[in-house]
Amino acid sequence: MDFRFDIVEGYLPLLLRGTLYTVCISLASIALGSLLGLGVGLGKMSRFWFLRWPMHAYINFFRGTPLLVQIFIVHFGLIPLLNGKTNAIAAAVTALALNAAAYTAEIYRAGIQSIDKGQSEAALSIGMTPWQTMRFVVLPQAVKRMIPAFGNEFIVLLKDSSLLTLITVPEIMYWSNAMKNQYIRIWEPYLTAACIYFILTYTLNKLLQALERRVS
Amino acid sequence: MNRKFMLGIITLMCVIMLAGCGAKKVENTEGGAAADTSGTNDGGSGNGSSTAANTGSDSGNAAAETTYQFASDASYAPMEFMDKDELKGFDIDFLAAVMKEAGLKYEVRNVGWDAMLESVKQGKEYQAGVSSISITADRAQTYDFSMPYFESKNVIMVKEDSAIASALDLKGKKVALQGGTTADTLMTKIMGKGNTDLKKFDSNAVALLELDKGGADAVVADIAIVRDYIKNNPDKKYKEVLDDVNFNPEYYGLAYPKGSELKAELDPAIKAVIENGTYADLYKKWFDEVPDTTRLLAAK
Repeated sequence: MDFRFDIVEGYLPLLLRGTLYTVCISLASIALGSLLGLGVGLGKMSRFWFLRWPMHAYINFFRGTPLLVQIFIVHFGLIPLLNGKTNAIAAAVTALALNAAAYTAEIYRAGIQSIDKGQSEAALSIGMTPWQTMRFVVLPQAVKRMIPAFGNEFIVLLKDSSLLTLITVPEIMYWSNAMKNQYIRIWEPYLTAACIYFILTYTLNKLLQALERRVS
Repeated sequence: MNRKFMLGIITLMCVIMLAGCGAKKVENTEGGAAADTSGTNDGGSGNGSSTAANTGSDSGNAAAETTYQFASDASYAPMEFMDKDELKGFDIDFLAAVMKEAGLKYEVRNVGWDAMLESVKQGKEYQAGVSSISITADRAQTYDFSMPYFESKNVIMVKEDSAIASALDLKGKKVALQGGTTADTLMTKIMGKGNTDLKKFDSNAVALLELDKGGADAVVADIAIVRDYIKNNPDKKYKEVLDDVNFNPEYYGLAYPKGSELKAELDPAIKAVIENGTYADLYKKWFDEVPDTTRLLAAK
């Protein structure tokens, strides 16, 4: 197996710059997606059908269609509609955040519903408003249980961000493809990209484990 | 128990279906001046089609005994593309003419770009790649290339009212193109390797869409693709800008593994096909133009 490190070296600065894009876009998407997901999740648990029904549809759409298609729809449809022209970075964060929101909504729902009913009944009986009950009693307990699922979603999103190469977001996979096309060699770009992704997800895993230990 | 049984049946069916997609038998047909497609449609797995032909000559030379395997990525019309389950295109016809000239048996298969590169590099399963592969110095470090058999001509496509008149005007502008093409090589040289204003897409179709949606000021692509697009979309008001000064000609070659003996075998045949007018006929058939074979033969 002849592995040419000199080509990898030539692209290393670009790959590192790409890594920065991958990390920043993933962080922004997971942050936005979690906020949005909370709204969607609470909406899905609402007593009112007119809130429940659209959220249901939202989750089904984003969990039931390929992310690649969603990225294309956002990049060539939604963003030009709002902005007048395409913008790869905006499309990247939007598409990943919308997708993450659907998945995190389910994590919130499962987390909240796993807290014993007696907890919120007790909180309501001592005169807390439903909002206070959610904010001070249910959510703090639920969040603890959600951490592993959240970590999972974050890791999946980080790896899924490699699809963004198709709308030319200059992330890890984009430069890895450029390397592939310049030298028309396969292993160097793909294995290098895989290595970088592995380092990122491994670090993320360790951070999440530390967080879990602190919380429990 | 019943549920487990059902699950088992379903799994088994999936496996059988997948196996059916992968297995494929290709037979050589005798006496082929014309290339012959064999095999049945296998449910569109996309890599089952192959064109096989042989010269049918019983010259008894040892080389005629081996069937050379060519790999291709049939996603670059009109050079090579899939028409239903049939491999077609200029490259495919040209290869047929060359192999007939050389008197060798061969098969060509659509295996996809990445798989083609790796298998040609190893040279075991496939002995050569035919897929509009641009010859560059960087690539020649890994592969041997045949003599140039096609001059790739790139043009700039812009809005009719655009002031862009040459490739150098594209500096500082946003340019969309297909990565890995000669257009990519040329524009990377002009705009710089790490320049993110140069948007390298997966295919020309998406690069053109990016231009339509205002994400790019220009597309650089093969002249055939640009002309086709302008002709089919008159309402979009695009024009082509030629630049023979900054776009030095780039050439396609057959890719072989390093040290392949095929190069010495096929180069004379390629030369003969270009010189005896067969090449011009094929060029006329696919592009409706007369090729500049003098420049092609002089190219190094």
